Amino acid sequence: MTDVRPILEVRHASRSYFENGKEFRVLEDISFDVRERDFICVVGPSGCGKSTLLREIVGLDRPTSGEILFEGRPVRAENPRISMVFQSFALFPWLTVLENVELGLEAHKVPEEERRSKAKNYIDAVGLAGFENAYPRELSGGMKQRVGIARALVMDPVLLCMDEPFSALDALTAQNLRDEILQLWTNPEIPPSAVLMVTHSIDEAVYLADRIIAMSPRPGRIVKIEVVDLPRPRNRKEPEFYGWVDEIYSLIV
Amino acid sequence: MPNSPHTDEPSKPLADMHPISKVSVGQILGLVEAIDEVGGSADVATISQEVEMDIDRLGPIIDAAELLGFVKVEEGDLTITDLSRKVLHANIRERKKIIREIIDDVPIFRQVTDMARKAGRPLSREEVLGAITGQVGTHQAEDFFNALVYWGRYVELVHYDSESEQLSLRAPST
Amino acid sequence: MALTRKQLRPLALGLVALAVVVALLDPASALEAGTLAVLAVYSTIRMFLAFVLSLVFAIAYGTAAATNKRLGEFLIPILDILQSVPILGFFPPALLFFYYSMNGSPVGVEIAIIFLIFTSMAWNIAFGVYEALTTLPADLQEAATVFGVRDWLRFRRLFFPATIPRLVYNAMLSWTVGWFYLVASEYIASGPLSLSRPGLGSYIYAAGQAGDVGTLVLGIGTLTIVVLLLDTFLWRPLSVWSERYRMEQTGGGEARQQGSTYERLRWLPRFPRVRSELSKRLAPLIHGWNRAATPLDRYYVSHPKLVRTVRWADLTMFLVILIFVVAAGILGLIGVFLGPLPPLAGEIPAAVVASLGRLALAYGAALAWTIPVAAWVVHNPRASRLATPVLEVIASIPATALFPVILAFSVLVVGAFGLEAEFAAFLIALFAMQWYLLFNIIAGMRSLPGDMREAAKVFGLHGWAYWKRVLLPAITPSLLTGSITAWGAGWNALIVAEYISYSGTVYHVGAGIGYLIAFATYSGTDQGRLLLLSVLALIVVVIVMNKLLWRPIIKRASQRFRIEIQ
Repeated sequence: MTDVRPILEVRHASRSYFENGKEFRVLEDISFDVRERDFICVVGPSGCGKSTLLREIVGLDRPTSGEILFEGRPVRAENPRISMVFQSFALFPWLTVLENVELGLEAHKVPEEERRSKAKNYIDAVGLAGFENAYPRELSGGMKQRVGIARALVMDPVLLCMDEPFSALDALTAQNLRDEILQLWTNPEIPPSAVLMVTHSIDEAVYLADRIIAMSPRPGRIVKIEVVDLPRPRNRKEPEFYGWVDEIYSLIV
Repeated sequence: MPNSPHTDEPSKPLADMHPISKVSVGQILGLVEAIDEVGGSADVATISQEVEMDIDRLGPIIDAAELLGFVKVEEGDLTITDLSRKVLHANIRERKKIIREIIDDVPIFRQVTDMARKAGRPLSREEVLGAITGQVGTHQAEDFFNALVYWGRYVELVHYDSESEQLSLRAPST
Repeated sequence: MALTRKQLRPLALGLVALAVVVALLDPASALEAGTLAVLAVYSTIRMFLAFVLSLVFAIAYGTAAATNKRLGEFLIPILDILQSVPILGFFPPALLFFYYSMNGSPVGVEIAIIFLIFTSMAWNIAFGVYEALTTLPADLQEAATVFGVRDWLRFRRLFFPATIPRLVYNAMLSWTVGWFYLVASEYIASGPLSLSRPGLGSYIYAAGQAGDVGTLVLGIGTLTIVVLLLDTFLWRPLSVWSERYRMEQTGGGEARQQGSTYERLRWLPRFPRVRSELSKRLAPLIHGWNRAATPLDRYYVSHPKLVRTVRWADLTMFLVILIFVVAAGILGLIGVFLGPLPPLAGEIPAAVVASLGRLALAYGAALAWTIPVAAWVVHNPRASRLATPVLEVIASIPATALFPVILAFSVLVVGAFGLEAEFAAFLIALFAMQWYLLFNIIAGMRSLPGDMREAAKVFGLHGWAYWKRVLLPAITPSLLTGSITAWGAGWNALIVAEYISYSGTVYHVGAGIGYLIAFATYSGTDQGRLLLLSVLALIVVVIVMNKLLWRPIIKRASQRFRIEIQ
């Protein structure tokens, strides 16, 4: 473990909404770090604020108190070093796969030649070579999410955030995609350096993550941060796997 | 029909190709993985429970997997084949290569690619539909066309422009 | 219509050949046809100019209102009011204003006509833009933010494409409305003010004045052909193209190829080769533009203070102009009310009631025939296949073009009783209102799920019971939408219909707000204040009807039937 500064530092972040003079606490005193080569899953019951937490980390929202530092500085949404994959894919229906993937590069003024070849590279890496000129409506759900992943990875992010990326997919497609993401993850040439994923499936968290952050129901607090040391690839039928699932389950209810 | 050298199964007649038109690669591979996880063989009911998909939705995926030679179906039991074991351990690009060889042998696929090669220019959607309709009927022709475009693109043998509705051949990148 | 692309080409060639033969045999009529074509071009160009102006306005206004909440709270009510103002009331004074400000040059008249058409199109399109942007999915906006898509790129890649389906749809509607106003304004310009400009509307007016039926028919026919041509070669292909920009409803469904809209219109020429050639030619231009724009963009981004200053300057200028206009308006109004009221002002209330009565009568008559016809069309698929194209053609003729015909007909029928002006006004209002009702009701009946109709049959629901339980509830939302639009059209039609000149005679109703407005404009003497008061009265009536009649009905209907209206 090197003495390098963590990529992400969440320090006592809390989020409240005020309505009719009453305060609704969504997140309370969240603190944790993300370091290089971390694959972290945040699990918790519905409504525990995990999606809100993710949005604050990415910069789409701001905590009411506490701070979130990315590479030592407060987060900014347009920072290309943090990327995001959305639950509902969020692809632009009028752009081709290639144009969708290039979007972030275009916004950061990367020259055309360079962004074209980068985008094609990542489209190939997620297994969508051949579909560069297809439109999202011609793709299945799993393929749309691959576009979302390629779009996020092409930015060379240091931290990849994913908001329940598989919950809109059927079980078979989801499993297939999880495996392929792990394949990408184990390739050190491909970014990102760290992954932070929100999910409501404990199975999925135990299958994918090195560390699991278990959250309580609203107002969301960190109950415990578990380090999962099972070797990959993990088999969901093994008793050790079940053990972990049970334990995490007991933490969040 | 002779056994093609690449699959464990003999090539099926055209009418049976319907299943692959509604199913995606991810689902087929997901099914194979699911069967592998429970030891390589299981009955349909177990798989249905495992993946939480009812038989209606699972059926076409099983059919497609069988068609492509990834799964053997015997009396309600599903077993994965050597081919699918190979695919499971391959990376994303290798998987494409394996599936490419299978798809290239599917008669209807061959027919359309031969047509395109002979014509020497992109084919319009109309032309391809016309060629397929004779064999599978108008109602299914659309589905087949979509499947052709989908699988053709996946294995990088086909280029399709949905704006101008032109289909053309391409060489795969790997 | 089942023409294929292959059949279109010989058909077109055949028509051209026919035209050439006719021209050679009868040069006079060829000349006439040529003149008509030129007039058609004039009128169409006016429409296009007004449309382009409307687009620019609507996109800017709608985007501003949608992206900035506080601005929106204040821009949208303004738009609401603007939409309720009956445009034709303003036209005669606007015409004079532009004419004199251009020192009596015909350019002033053209500007006035274009301005009028602009006001008939712009608000509607702006609303469409606003609605499209406010319903933009949140995840797309978040994705755009996360990937750094801002400012101009955000507009180009997110806002503008999202508005395209609504833009095209509203544009088609606006053009239909716009033709009505084009003809009306060319009329008015040709009429008592004698500021005629070449165009189809003026042509029809002149024919009407001369009582020349043959020429009249030619004029109306040409107008219809132009409308149909534009519809076939511009609007249909555009709406097919705009399908690409439509958002999907679900996120993770199965893959599907394009559906039925492409299918039905597949026979339309789409010129793929022309389009790819064009895009190849234009590509270097676009690249050049992008490359040139990049350093400017970079400069902008690195100098946020500059951007902020520019935005402030923009906003301040806009506010200053707005305040000035509003203040001028208020002062003018105060001036009117403080001074002595014009003599005829006392007739305004009676006039309003009379016009209201006329419209109510026309509305009732329209409902009386459109509902049964709609029911017949919808329940008889063979009839509807024949009838729909015919109805669409007839409906595309703007009511204003038919004035001379209607007037002649009225004179014929009730001339003996001296009621021709009243009857004509009634008929014109009817014509202006009925198509909105008919097509909306048909759409409403069509939206009834097929299995409901079958269930009704199975349960033996006939006659009145069927109507009461099935049809009428089904059409209520569309009927309401159609009624609101119809009444809007009716008010505007009345302004022209209650005072028409034909064959050298002036026909006007005894009492009517349209008559008062027209009278105040044309009477030559200083009736400025009467004009202002009458127009104000009209605006007040329309807004009051909106708030006190239509809005509550819509609210009750949408609660009762639990559906979204408009």
